[in-house]
Amino acid sequence: MSAESFDLPLQPEPPPKVHRIGWLDWARKNLFNSVFNGTLTMVLTAGLLLLILALLRFVFSPDRRWEVMPPNAANYVVEAYPREDLANMWLSLWIIAALAGVSTASWGMGGQVSVIKVVAAVRAIGATALVVGVLSLWSPAGGATQTVLVWGGAALFGVGVGATRLVQEERGVSVARVLAIVGALLVGLVWYMPLESGTTWPLTITALVVVAFHWVGKLVGQWLSARLMKRVITVLWVLSFPVIYLHIQRNPSLVWGEVTSWLPWAGLLIAAGPAVIWVVSRAGREQAAGVNFLLGGVSIYSWVIQWPMAIRVLFLLLTLFSLATPTFAASPRARRAFYWTWLAGGLCTLYFFLMGIGSTDLATRGHFLGGINLTILLAVGGTALSFPLGVMLALGRTSSMPIFRILSIVYIEVVRGVPLITVLFFGDKVIPRFLPPGLDFAGEAKALLAITAFSAAYLAENVRGGLQAVSKGQTEASRALGMTTAQMTMLITLPQALRVVIPALVGQAIALFKDTSLVAIIGLADFLRVARDIVPNQPDSLGSILENLLLAALVYWIFAFSFSRASLRLERRLGVGTR
Amino acid sequence: MENGAANPIIVCENVKKWFGDFQALRGVTTSVAEGEVVVVIGPSGSGKSTFIRCINRLEQHQEGRIVVAGIELTSDVRNIERIRSEVGMVFQQFNLFPHLTVMQNITLAQVWVRKRSRSDAEERAMALLERVGIPEQAAKYPGQLSGGQQQRVAIARSLAMDPKIMLFDEPTSALDPEMIKEVLEVMQELAGTGMTIVAVTHEMGFAREVANRVVLFDEGQIVEEGPPAEFFANPRHPRTKMFLSQILSH
Amino acid sequence: MANRPSLAAPTRPPLWRNATFLKWAAQIGVLFGVLALGSVLIGEATANMRAQGLSLDWDLLTDPPGIQLGEGIFIKPSTGLEAFYTGAVNMLRVALSGIVAATVVGAIVGIARLSSNWLASRLATVFVESLRNIPVLVQVVFWFFLASTLFPILEADSSGPIPGVLLVSRKGVSFAWPFPQETFWQWGAFLVVGLLTARWAYRTRMRRAEALGEDTRPGTWALLAFLAWAVLGWFAHPLAGALGWLFMLLAASVGAVPVSVYQVVLALVSLYLGWRWIHRFLESRRSPAGLAKLTDDDYFRMILAGALGAGGAAVLMLLPAATEVGTNVLQYLLEFCDQKFDFLRSGAPLAMGSPSVEVPGRFPQIAGTGLTMTPSFFGIWMGVTLYTASFIAEIVRGGILSVPKGQSEAGYALGLRRGQLLRMVILPQAFRVILPPLGNQYLNLSKNTSLGIAVAFPEMVQVGQTMFNQTGDTIQVILIWMAFYLSISLLISVLINYYNRRAQLVER
Ligand SMILES: Nc1ncnc2c1ncn2[C@@H]1O[C@H](COP(=O)(O)OP(=O)(O)OP(=O)(O)O)[C@@H](O)[C@H]1O
Ligand SMILES: [Mg+2]
Repeated sequence: MSAESFDLPLQPEPPPKVHRIGWLDWARKNLFNSVFNGTLTMVLTAGLLLLILALLRFVFSPDRRWEVMPPNAANYVVEAYPREDLANMWLSLWIIAALAGVSTASWGMGGQVSVIKVVAAVRAIGATALVVGVLSLWSPAGGATQTVLVWGGAALFGVGVGATRLVQEERGVSVARVLAIVGALLVGLVWYMPLESGTTWPLTITALVVVAFHWVGKLVGQWLSARLMKRVITVLWVLSFPVIYLHIQRNPSLVWGEVTSWLPWAGLLIAAGPAVIWVVSRAGREQAAGVNFLLGGVSIYSWVIQWPMAIRVLFLLLTLFSLATPTFAASPRARRAFYWTWLAGGLCTLYFFLMGIGSTDLATRGHFLGGINLTILLAVGGTALSFPLGVMLALGRTSSMPIFRILSIVYIEVVRGVPLITVLFFGDKVIPRFLPPGLDFAGEAKALLAITAFSAAYLAENVRGGLQAVSKGQTEASRALGMTTAQMTMLITLPQALRVVIPALVGQAIALFKDTSLVAIIGLADFLRVARDIVPNQPDSLGSILENLLLAALVYWIFAFSFSRASLRLERRLGVGTR
Repeated sequence: MENGAANPIIVCENVKKWFGDFQALRGVTTSVAEGEVVVVIGPSGSGKSTFIRCINRLEQHQEGRIVVAGIELTSDVRNIERIRSEVGMVFQQFNLFPHLTVMQNITLAQVWVRKRSRSDAEERAMALLERVGIPEQAAKYPGQLSGGQQQRVAIARSLAMDPKIMLFDEPTSALDPEMIKEVLEVMQELAGTGMTIVAVTHEMGFAREVANRVVLFDEGQIVEEGPPAEFFANPRHPRTKMFLSQILSH
Repeated sequence: MANRPSLAAPTRPPLWRNATFLKWAAQIGVLFGVLALGSVLIGEATANMRAQGLSLDWDLLTDPPGIQLGEGIFIKPSTGLEAFYTGAVNMLRVALSGIVAATVVGAIVGIARLSSNWLASRLATVFVESLRNIPVLVQVVFWFFLASTLFPILEADSSGPIPGVLLVSRKGVSFAWPFPQETFWQWGAFLVVGLLTARWAYRTRMRRAEALGEDTRPGTWALLAFLAWAVLGWFAHPLAGALGWLFMLLAASVGAVPVSVYQVVLALVSLYLGWRWIHRFLESRRSPAGLAKLTDDDYFRMILAGALGAGGAAVLMLLPAATEVGTNVLQYLLEFCDQKFDFLRSGAPLAMGSPSVEVPGRFPQIAGTGLTMTPSFFGIWMGVTLYTASFIAEIVRGGILSVPKGQSEAGYALGLRRGQLLRMVILPQAFRVILPPLGNQYLNLSKNTSLGIAVAFPEMVQVGQTMFNQTGDTIQVILIWMAFYLSISLLISVLINYYNRRAQLVER
């Protein structure tokens, strides 16, 4: 089609130079382009000015006690965690920081951002500070704050404007570098703020750990293939949370006397696993079903006669593995991977029962979760645990088996029909009714269960949307290839469905994160409760409730907003949502 | 009728248009006389749609001048509204309003833009539906009609505004062959009434029989234009020859 | 025919390889497991509760609860039922006013985000992005503490920012409001007639318009008809007292019929519904070629429908108490209506009240002359309204953006203005996209009213918690909550589905 061989008379020209339009032209075009818009602009400007003035009067009122915040930093983050054991918390943070650093090396940090945008952002921040500083003349602001706002704002604005003149052409700068500068500024702030003593260094170390492990990641990345690297990091992420919450923070102590009775049996079970998998994968359909039937029977029986909990759970796990064997361990290679999965899963379970359940060496026994730490645990734990449950419910709801379908529908619709707080109360007040008198779970565990049960119903609906989006041709094709229903679901339908609904799932996780604040109502010491009840009721920060609530709002907002932005990026990269 | 010198109703002078860095129109100069039927052809992406969308300012040109019915197209809102009610447009994808019946589709703009009474508007709509041959479909929704019927409703909707000029942007290329005929007949009848028409279409039969002038676009410029007989019989420019050979080869 | 190879008779597969059998065995096994688990848990729970001196009865509904509620119809309820009734009404107050306000705010903000006015669209973006990323509970608590610590202290001579219209104080926000008087119901009857007349007028004028092809102004006619009835009713409302007789008569006749008659009628209805479902199902499987082969799933559905119909009938026949409660409630409602209508009542149906302060004891209080939002109400209402509005704004924006570009191009090509285009072409189409997620937001808002518990607003959950803190009847309270919220959810989704179906585009 190309007409290069014909010399058409007119050659393309560059577009007419857009003169940098003056701000008057800009205002005429964007603010006063019609009578209605002009009026709207004036009304909005007046309203905005009044609002900012009221805000400034609020913020700089002598009644406000913003200074109570930095000394309470540890309360916000970990609440009642014994202060002499804070090293555990720092270690947890550093593990996350290290993983974050390695991940940035492996996945990259969003590439480049245009210099012009960065400069414009600097300019906007400076202008805002300047305007606020000037407006604060009409508020009871202290001289120092005002000076900082006005001069700092003016300086930033000046730098921004100057840089705009300098940077004429579009050029990119790596996001990593911008983030590094912002991070360095934050570290500087840490040193400047009157934080609790003994926190400045560990926070600085956290920043250093991120940077150091970014380089470690880069170095290791030269030896390992990118795919393997990503896999390893993902596994480490998955493992990090149980390790942090069940081991590092709990600091468990193992009481040998309590485990000796079942430990050998557990070891035997784990060792027997590969044998079972081998037998099932080699056996014919009916023999395999027989083995599964047997295992399932023993498993149920073990709950009836109440063997030690670890044995029961391991047996259940073995049954599940055995059921999954025909689907996943068909080829020798897959079988080998399956052995390793079994060993890892079994050992993790064993570890959980050895260390995760016993008592702790912490100074306070029992209650040690609180603040942002608890909020994160509930959000991450709730998301992770509700995922398998939600997928199962979605499969149940789309299943061709009516009883499964009805059970799933009833569960999903009932849970979605009631508010989360009633589910939390159910967990808090009704679960102990089902347990023998005197026995109760920790409030945190019950809340986690309730949140999981709640979130699973919503997750199921999202996944169902994905399942319905998988075309019928896909299932027919896999049937034609002779796959079983289980293989088709696990290998064809689910992967496609989950891919489609990733953005919805991230949205669901963000909603869950915000919803964790409800545990404050049933008396857990999560971040909101610390900000609403605990800090404002301490003698030296009495009555600082509005300030604390605003802080809470800001922190929740930063988390939720950055996640939703990240999810938007992910959505664009996956190319879903665009049809 | 060379270049519509008689009584130009559309005048374009060196019209240029960019999408970002890409130049879609590289300087188009032409004019259309009152009552003239102009058919625009050209390869995909050559800027045909962009050109005729500039005529009623669905796209804004950045350089050059366009004067329609004596009104210059600038960013003056009043001019744009006046021109749009003088120029009717029919789209490839019909763009009927799916939530309104056929009757409501045709009367909507008559009532709100032409300020006609509803009864007058409906009378006019019925007359036009009869003219395009589907009076019995008035109460149906667009979703219930075939493509050809939908396009005829779209034509009736534009005609109801009593435009001086009609623009057609590939009105038949989303249609099956049989429906194409229905729509072309309506267009041909319309041309017979002395309406000024600018149509982008690849229906060479229509171009030959109905057009007063054929214009070939490529790379955002007019490569060749002329009366159909001459244009098809002995094209001057090699680009035209190649285009015609490709399009007529099957 | 003759040389067709002879096939061996088909063998039935053994039971353990029969797909249908396996499928049902697994399902029944799981169902059995679930039921067994449930019964074990319930058994355990009742045993535990008995050990603690609790039982699973419903005395809490009739016993005096010994609690006090912050606001509402019964501040000191004399039965548990009264307490829950108060909670339910409070919840509905927040939910309904919140839904209206959130819809208005959300629609404005959503449209503002698409505005060509830079400032408006920026502010709308800030509104949405800030509010929807902060937990609603934080917002609720914030507004509550804002109202109860930053608003002006109530003094004996406070008259608020707008004297006589709006009074803002730490004890609440009070504003002028037309309060229904005792004759309101009688006027209300006229309003209902007015609405029906308006609908009738609209339809007849519409039909006339279609017949004659002229503009018959149906909207104006309908409005005038309604206004006429409203004005007439304002003065002539005692005439509606005749309705009182009607309700009295109805109440008496409801009470006169023996319960067994209702039982039989309802049981027959239940059986009929089951039969009708099966009948329709079979019809849907019938084609001109005859009845399609039914799968085991089909049989299961029919058996289930039949069992539900028959089970309903059996329950109705065996448990006269259920029917009795139903007829009693009906009778009570009719008598209640009866009391609202009386020839002898007079006076305006609405009376304007304006905010004022009274000093009953040592401390000034807001008098009941205006409509007052307590700080608790203010907190929960502001919180859920603004939070939901931020989501509705996104839905509205998405809905408008979902209308194809060709639609606005066609509209512009016809010479429509921006406003006309929006009103007549874009919004009606966007509405169909907006409706289902909007319904979801209404559901969310209704459920979020339960956060009133965090600011001591006595809605269902707060009332329930106060109750079980007194009595220990957690399971009953949770069942009541479930029943309440599930009915609300059901109601909203039925309404939304109804409108959704009406709004569907007609397709080929
Ligand atoms: N909104 C737009 N943004 C960016 N580029 C555009 C836009 N609209 C058109 N273009 C580009 O301008 C060029 C001319 O497009 P135009 O639609 O006018 O072509 P056309 O001749 O009508 O082609 P076709 O026969 O395929 O309809 C194309 O290269 C197209 O990619
Ligand atoms: Mg085109």
